[in-house]
Parts: sequence; C-alpha cells; structure tokens
Amino acid sequence: MSTSTAAAVAAASTPTQQTGAHLGHTSLNIDSLRDLARKELVNVLDSDHGVENIYHLQPGPLETEHRNLIYICRPQVNYMKYIADTIHRHVNDHAGTYRYSLFFVPRRTAVCEKVLEDEGVFGDITMGEYHLDLIPLEDDLLSLEWDSTFKELYLDRDTTSIYYAAKALMRLQGIYGWFPRILGKGDYSKALCDMMLRMRREMAVDDLDVSQTTQMSQNIDSLIIIDRSVDLVTPLCTQLTYEGLIDEIFHIKNSFVEVDASLVSTAPAPTTSGSVSGSGSVSGSGTVPGKKKKVSLNGGDKLFSELRDLNFAVVGGLLNKVAKRINADYEERHNAKTMPQIRQFISKMGGLAAEHQSLRLHTSLAEQIMDYTMTDDFNKILEVQQNVVAGIATNKEPDYIEEMINKQVPLVQVLRLLCLYSLVNNGLKPKQYEFFSREILEVYGYEHIQTLENLRRLGMFTKQVTTKNSYNLVRRSLSLIVDEVNEHAPNDISYVYSGYAPLSVRLVQCVVYRGKDGKQAGSGGKGPGLPGGNGWKGFEEVLRMLPGRTFDEKQRVDDGQTIHSKRSNGQPPISLVFFLGGCTFTEVSATRFLASQDRGQRDFVICTTQILNGSTLIDSLVQKVPDPRTTA
Amino acid sequence: MSVSPNGKYLALFTSEGKLWVVSTDFQKNLLEFDTQSKLPPHQLAWSVYSNVFFRLHKMESIGLDATENIFKIGSTTPAAMLYDALDSFEKKLSKADENIRSIRLELSEAVEACIEAAGHEFTHYYQRLLLKAASFGKSFLEIHNADSFVEMCKILRVLNAVRFYEIGIPLTYVQYQSISPDALIDRLICRHQYLLAIKICEYLKMRTDRILIHWACSKIKKSCDDEDTICRMIVDKLANKPGLSYSEIAMTAYVAGRYKLATMVLSSATKLLDYEPRAGDQVPLLMSMKQDELALTKAIESGDTHLVYYVLLHLKRKLDVANFINVVSKKPLACNLLEAYCKEQNTKENTEFLKKFYRLDDRTTDKANLTLIESFQLKDTAQRIDMMKEAGKLYDKEHTFEAKAVEDAIRLIQVQAQLEKEYGELFTGLSISSTVYKLITINQSTRANKVRSDFKMPDKRFWWIKLRALVEIRDWEGVAAFAKFKKSPIGYEPFVEECVKARQFTKVGEYILKCDPHLRAGLFLKIEAYNEAGEQAYIQKDMEMLQYVSGQSQCELFERLHSVPV
Repeated sequence: MSTSTAAAVAAASTPTQQTGAHLGHTSLNIDSLRDLARKELVNVLDSDHGVENIYHLQPGPLETEHRNLIYICRPQVNYMKYIADTIHRHVNDHAGTYRYSLFFVPRRTAVCEKVLEDEGVFGDITMGEYHLDLIPLEDDLLSLEWDSTFKELYLDRDTTSIYYAAKALMRLQGIYGWFPRILGKGDYSKALCDMMLRMRREMAVDDLDVSQTTQMSQNIDSLIIIDRSVDLVTPLCTQLTYEGLIDEIFHIKNSFVEVDASLVSTAPAPTTSGSVSGSGSVSGSGTVPGKKKKVSLNGGDKLFSELRDLNFAVVGGLLNKVAKRINADYEERHNAKTMPQIRQFISKMGGLAAEHQSLRLHTSLAEQIMDYTMTDDFNKILEVQQNVVAGIATNKEPDYIEEMINKQVPLVQVLRLLCLYSLVNNGLKPKQYEFFSREILEVYGYEHIQTLENLRRLGMFTKQVTTKNSYNLVRRSLSLIVDEVNEHAPNDISYVYSGYAPLSVRLVQCVVYRGKDGKQAGSGGKGPGLPGGNGWKGFEEVLRMLPGRTFDEKQRVDDGQTIHSKRSNGQPPISLVFFLGGCTFTEVSATRFLASQDRGQRDFVICTTQILNGSTLIDSLVQKVPDPRTTA
Repeated sequence: MSVSPNGKYLALFTSEGKLWVVSTDFQKNLLEFDTQSKLPPHQLAWSVYSNVFFRLHKMESIGLDATENIFKIGSTTPAAMLYDALDSFEKKLSKADENIRSIRLELSEAVEACIEAAGHEFTHYYQRLLLKAASFGKSFLEIHNADSFVEMCKILRVLNAVRFYEIGIPLTYVQYQSISPDALIDRLICRHQYLLAIKICEYLKMRTDRILIHWACSKIKKSCDDEDTICRMIVDKLANKPGLSYSEIAMTAYVAGRYKLATMVLSSATKLLDYEPRAGDQVPLLMSMKQDELALTKAIESGDTHLVYYVLLHLKRKLDVANFINVVSKKPLACNLLEAYCKEQNTKENTEFLKKFYRLDDRTTDKANLTLIESFQLKDTAQRIDMMKEAGKLYDKEHTFEAKAVEDAIRLIQVQAQLEKEYGELFTGLSISSTVYKLITINQSTRANKVRSDFKMPDKRFWWIKLRALVEIRDWEGVAAFAKFKKSPIGYEPFVEECVKARQFTKVGEYILKCDPHLRAGLFLKIEAYNEAGEQAYIQKDMEMLQYVSGQSQCELFERLHSVPV
C-alpha cells in the first residue's frame, strides 16, 4: 500500500510562484501572523510524510493513486458532498483502504458534520481544523476571503461571519496586544464589538495566562468597524481606480486575475513563429488564443503598486512615462563601453526584464480597460450614476434604466443602477416602483419576484414612504460630492470615484480627523488626547441619519496600565479599519490615501471579510433557478 | 516497617537501602525499590487514598547531596564555608571574614547551594539557618538575582503548611517540584482541605476556580438541605468570582438526580454574571440534561452559530415539526439559521419542512415565494403550473402585485407550451421579452405581436426587442421597414446604434436623418461619413463640431494617402 499523501484543496487560489515576498515591510509586523498560519499548516499536513500531489476539490471522481487523502476546505455543504461522493466511489470500486482526513478552514461546523453523517461517511474521516482566518493580501490589507459574507449577513441574517471576524480579531489582539479603543457604526459592527469583549471575558476562564500577559497594543491605537449596511451606495458605484476597474471588468479573485494568456507569455518579441511571413495568422506564437492565465496582482509588482490606487485617468500617462524610462534604461547599453560598465548594465538587466514584463501586462490591461471605458454604454451608466449620487434629479436617469431593461443588458447591471437610484432617493415613487418591478419580471423572468423581495428586505429597492431624504443631508454634511477633482494630484478621497467620496471612508475620517479642516485629532497633545482621536464627537447628527448603532468602547488591562498606548518605538499610530460585510478596492485605495496624507502621522491597516464590488454584491442577491435548456 | 491502613500490605525498609512492599501474609512480593541510601528513613507511612502508598524518606538521593555537602564534617564546599561564616559572624569571630574571602569567587554558587539545601530541610530551624546563610552571603555580592531566594521562601511556606500535622502531607521539596503546585492543590481538594487550598492558591496567585467548584460539587452530593438553600449557599460563595464556570456544578447536580438544582444553578449563574463563559462546554451539557430550550438560548447568546446549528439539528431530529417550531419561533437567529440551512440543502424534505415552518410562523409571503421558486425546479409543465397556482393563492391583500405576476407567469407557461408544440422550439424558461424576441428571430412576427398584446407589453420595449431581433437575424430590409412602419417611440438613435454595432452601414444614413438634428453630426461620425457629418454640423451652425469633423476627415485623408503603396 502506498503511504504517499495527497491533499485535495478547495482553497482560494493556487499560487504557483513564491507569493508573499511583498509582505512584511511596515511597522505592523504582518510576519508574525503569517508564521502562525504557516506553522499550523505544517501541522495539518503532518509534513514529515510529505504531500506528493495537490488537487483541486471539485465534483466528480478524484483520480489519484494515493491512499492518504487530506482535504482542506471551507465548511461548505457542496464540498462535503464532493468528499462523500469520492468516498462512496472508493467503497463501490472496492479499491482498498484509504485514509481520509478533513481540515475545515477556519473551523468545523455542525452543518457539515450533519451532511457527512447523512451521507454515511462521517466515521470514515478524521476531522480537524485549520484556523486560517485573516489572510494578508498586502501589508495593509487583511481579508477573511469569505465570499458569501454579504448575503449571509444581510439577507440570511446568519451571523457566522461575525463570529469568525471576532475570532480573527482576537487572534490579532493576541499578537499585537489589546486594541485600546473600538469604535464603529452599524448594528452588526456593534455585535462584532460586543462579541470581542465577550470573548475577552471568556478568555479569562479558558486561558488565563494569555489573557493576563497580553498587553495593550503598542502600535494599534484603535479599531474602527464599518458595517456594510451603513453604506450600500459606495459599492454600487463604478470604481474608477486602476485596480477597481480591473476588478469591475476582469474580476479579481483572491488577488489573482484571469487574463488572456498572450498578455503574460514569456516570449516578449514576435520573432518566435519562424519566418513564415504573410500567412496572416500571427497568433501561433505558442499560446492558444482565448486561453486564460492567472496572474497575481499584488505589491510585489512595483509598477502595479504605483498604479493600483490611481484614478484610471492618469494611468495611461504614467505607463507612457515608465515605458520611456525603461527604454532609456535599455538604451544605456550603447553607452556601456568598458567592461565594468557592461557588467553593471548586465546586472541591471534582470530587473529591467521583470519591469518590462510588468509593463507589458499593465499596458495591455490598461488598453482593454480603455476599450471598455470608451464605450457609450459605460459613459452613459457613469453619467447616470454620478447624477444620482450627486442628487441631480432629472427624468433622464429612470429613462435610461428603462432603456437598459429594454435592451436586456445583464440584470446585475440594471439592478446596480436601480438600487443606487432607490437608495439615494429613499425609495421609488409607488408607481415607478411597480413599473420597474413589472419590467424586471417580464424581461428577466418571474423567479425574480424573490430577487425583488431580497432587495426590498435589504432596503436597496423600495417603495418611497416619506419624501424626507436623509441621504441628501448626509451627502451635504459629509461633503460626499466634491466638484473639482484633480486626478493627477488628488487632495481628497473623492478622486477614487472622480467626484464622489465613499461614505464608509468618510466615516473613518470622522474618527481620525477633527472636523473638515483635516487636522488630526488626538495628536495635538491638547485635551484628554484619547488614542484614536475624538471618536464620533461632532458628527453625532450625521450618524443618526445613518442606519444602525454608533459606539465607542475602551478596553483596558487590569494592572492599572492606562489606555494610552505607549509608542516608545517612534512608529506612527495605526488605525485598524474593519469592513464588516466586505469592501471595494476603491475603499482600500481611499483609506491608503488617508495614510498618505500628513505622512507619518497615522497608518491604516484594512481588514475585511471579503473584497466585493457592486456586481458581486448584487449577484449574490439574485435568485437563480435551473435553466430548463440544460436540465431538460 | 509500616502496615497499610487496611492491613493487607506491609512496607519495609531493608538494611541494604531497599524499599520492599509485600502482602502481610508475605505471599506476594509487590515492589522492590532501591533507594540507594543506607540511611534509614525517619518514618515510613501509607497514603490513604486509592491504596497508593508513597514513601517518606527524609533525604532523598538528590536532596542528600545538597545538604550533605554543607553539613558533612570537614566539608569545604563553598556552601559549607558560607554556612560556617554565618556561624562565625553570629559569634562575632573574624573567621567569618576569612571564610567569605576564601570563597569569594564561588560565593554566588554558595548562596544558591544554601537556598537549595534549605528546600530539602524539614525542620524549620535548619531551613531558617540555611536561608539566613544565603541571605548573609548575598549581601557580599554586588549583583545577585534574588528570585530563587524569594521563590524558595514561598515554596517552603507552602510545604511547611501542608506538612503541618493537622494536614499531614509530608511532601519533600523534590516531590513538590515534580508533582507541581496544581497536583498539590488536587490532593488538598481530595482531602476536603478547601480553606488551605484556597489560601495557597491565593498566595501563589493561582486560580481558585476548581477548588470552589469541587467544594460546590461535594456540597451538592453531601448536603441534605433543600435545593433552594444549597443553591443560595453556592451562589453566595461563588458570586464574586468572574469567569468561573458553573457547568460542572450543574452537571454534578444533574448526575446526583437534582434536576431542579442543576437548572437553578445555571440560571442563577446567568443572572449573576449576566453571561456564562464557555458556551461551548455548556451547550452540550444542557442538552445531555435535556434542557434543550435553555441550550438553544445559550448557544444563541454565545454568537457561535456552530453551536446554534448543533442544537437545532439535534432538536430537528428529536421533535416533531410543530414542537420544534414552537421552541425555535421566538428566537430570530435560530429561525434565520434554520431558513438558511433549509434553503442551502434544497432537498424536497427540507423545502417541505421550511414550508411548514413558514405556515406555523405566519409567514405566508415567504411561503408563497418559496413555493414559487420550487415550481421553477419542476420539469413537468402541468406540475409546475399547479405549484405556481398554489403559490399565487398564498399572497395576501398586500401582495396583489405578486399574485398578479404569478398569474401572468402561469399564462406565459401555457403560451410557451403551445408555442413549443407549434414550432418545435424550446420556449420554457424564457421571459416574456425573450419569448417575443425568439419568435421574431424565427420569423414569426405576427405571433410575436399576438404575445405582445396578450401581455400588454409597453411599446418602447417591444420596439427595442423587435429591432434587436431583426438585427440579430440580419434582416436589414425588415429593419428598414420597421423604421418606416410608424413613428418610433424609442427614437431612431437605437436603429443607428444597433446597425453600427452590427457593422451594417448601408441604411444608417436614413435613420440618422430621422434623429434629433443636433445629434446627427455625431452619429455620422460614427460611421465615418465625414461629408454628411460636416454638412449636418454646418446646418446646426455647430462650429466646434465642424472643426472637429474637418480635423478628423483630414486625418483620415492623410492616413489614406500614406497607406497607398508607392
């Protein structure tokens, strides 16, 4: 019997290259978090024996000659069914004895156990947990990568992700110390905060030593929790940063994006297909057209980290500049006359080639994005969006939405705009509401009675009950609309949507800065100088207009240590911003922009349950039914 | 020589230094252990509990070296010298100074040795002397870490306390080190020496929880007071201990058959502390105590959905639907999770269950929606219609819109079934719009018109559908005829737009001329008709456009000139 081991992984992605080299360069040492995860994985795999093969967990038979199978997956019902199916096959084939281990990420659930039990394979599997929760995508961006959070939390009102989030934040506190202050907005934010405080009390029972030895955090002076339900407008808008647009068009999944293989082929020059010229087809350079390839997009790519947070309007110019510079660098070879000069040039070559490769990728991505942003449809949608969020009321917006429906553009696009319109106007007039509901059912199918019900339940597509519009007040008092935006040298977060400042990040600004003059709170040394700024002070009225509770909790330790975090190491204080229910790339960019203002005053680390955009958000709420054409 | 308390065994210490245990009838040889010590022990005793005996031996092999090195006659180890120095010092002899000088370099070790030796001493007198010597030596050292000294003092206090005759645990330092303070506390608990155990814990800054829990448990087992009194007694004592878990106490009460007390303990714990930690332990416990509803409440409070599901699935198996729903219905999180579970499982059984749940919970609209969605999964048209009818009936007065929509949906299926028969094409699953669209693409315009009027389709939408469908089958004459048919409710830009998208420019000029005058120039540009664009711009007196057009056309001309092969 073979004792070799194979692991079937239903993890997010399969990074084939050395990933993570881009991490670990800031004051908050992400490495300790990564080490923890790595060590645990080694334990899980019991790697003394070595894993010989890695497979993706998917339906259908698992072709493997290995007898030791380790499954690592999310606790999801479909995965349980795949695993059960594999085991049933093995039993039916009389294929001999297998050993199955199953590790749930981040923890096992009663539902999955029930499914395995119902399938009659519960006893055949050794079960365990792999507590991988927050995954560092960047030094300043941690994500639970729990894709279904939004729907689970707000539609199903299943609070599992709050529990996971609380666990993850407790783990962070275990590494970095207690957060002196926890602020937030939204009912689920409050639930998360309460759960963390509760877990801390529980810890006093379960793990006294740890709970007593954990100090106040040295660097992180506050945790700001923003509940997605507080700001549903932002994700519905089209993201206009480079990374945001890549996500809108190509959909970035776990920091990987699928692009045409030809964009990233390693052969840079079209001199490969021999001298068969004139035949017309030049595509035969080894890559099949239409073949997709996964490319990682992270801070390890220097060019990308320069571009990602910029408004797309300036990306072209920058790429051009970089291209010229690289070209100039290549040209230097002509100046290299002496041996040392040549050697110096050669040593630079490797870096140049990598830069060149990255330039090629981003130029072609930018070109494709450009093709998309030049279309009439894109610009019309954008115009409507911007008018809607700016509160410029005309008849054109609903007319355009109607036209979109008539043209049968994908439902998600229609709903994205329609929900935005409804949210901003505090609902649609009854007649209009009924009209659009009917249109949607007749054009996209009657199963969407449920879709509309889902949206109504979330308050995203509703009938107007009062003409009082709180969004207008919020927009004014938080200056969400900024008319003159300089995309080249932005001075406000509104650059990410070319004139609309994401509400969620404005709220973060409220806590961190005092008033609109942008002066940092708490750093002046005057007054009580609580860590994490003034809290919500001065913004009470606006906050009342937004849904959910507002809170400001302080954590202390018993031995008389003050809640001031001591920053003897001279590092700037860090605000941890947790987006419960997911955030968009533009919100990440906007938060990064805050960090770049008043450099050195304050750093931000963003945590989120997942990265989303308007389309993924809406799509999770759309009712799906089996297609009779495929099942008939 | 010592006989065990039950008189069955005999422990002997032989002259060769062996410990020998035999049955009192000398028939069974139970143990022989070489202590490697010829010194006879002061006492040999049996431990009471679980018939395990342990050997008491004043100086064990390790302890022996430590003390022997100091007290052996003529010993010149640094520790002995230090001890001697103290003696001389107290007698005010100058020898004290000489001694210290002679061991100057090893003074630190000497101090540690004295501390160590003190630990192995049983009499308070020698303990004190040795510690004094250590402290004396310490004062000559510039840098010395006093931790070991402080630690030893603590340990000795603890050891002396348990060695006290009323307690009678003659534990040696070595034993104490090897069994750990925790085990010592356990032994004290077993002897019901709760007060001392708590005092020691407090002194060593350890948690007192398990002592209190054990105390409470034994109270429950032994006390003959009524349950209220016991509960009050326990809760009073435990009230100001945050983080203490009441689960074990409750379980003890349960096992002892005091069911009422068990729940009382738990509920008063909840009241007192307004939370009970370790929900993970408590929930299964409550379930085994058959306190299912309380278990569910606790699980919900913990926020751990895994626990909630655990209880829910258990209850679902155990109770009939009505009872189950009764337990669950007033707990929103439980309801939500149950719903999500049933929907995700999406089996016949779970859907039926969910329907019952909705009915009993008075959520008819949800039931209607669920039934409707279920109907979409049925392949058989008749069955599907039946189920849709069922769904339609469920919508109440406030949902007339939905009820009407379902009626339309049924009508649509009937129409589609008819169409499928007539044309042999698949229509089921299509929306009204898509049905009309498909009819046009298979050249059934008249039929499309009929469906359109049957469902009262708005004009605008119909025009878009027809236009797009005609473009798809590239019926350009059809498009042209349609444009002339009557005044388009959607204007003529869509005609231009769709044709441009299909790269069909021939008739586009005509459509452009039907568009709004100020748009025409721009539209002509799209089909690269520069002359017409210029003309329109000129008519509109749109100078900007005119300039743009001329620029564009020159560009074009320029490019064309350059592409001509020379």
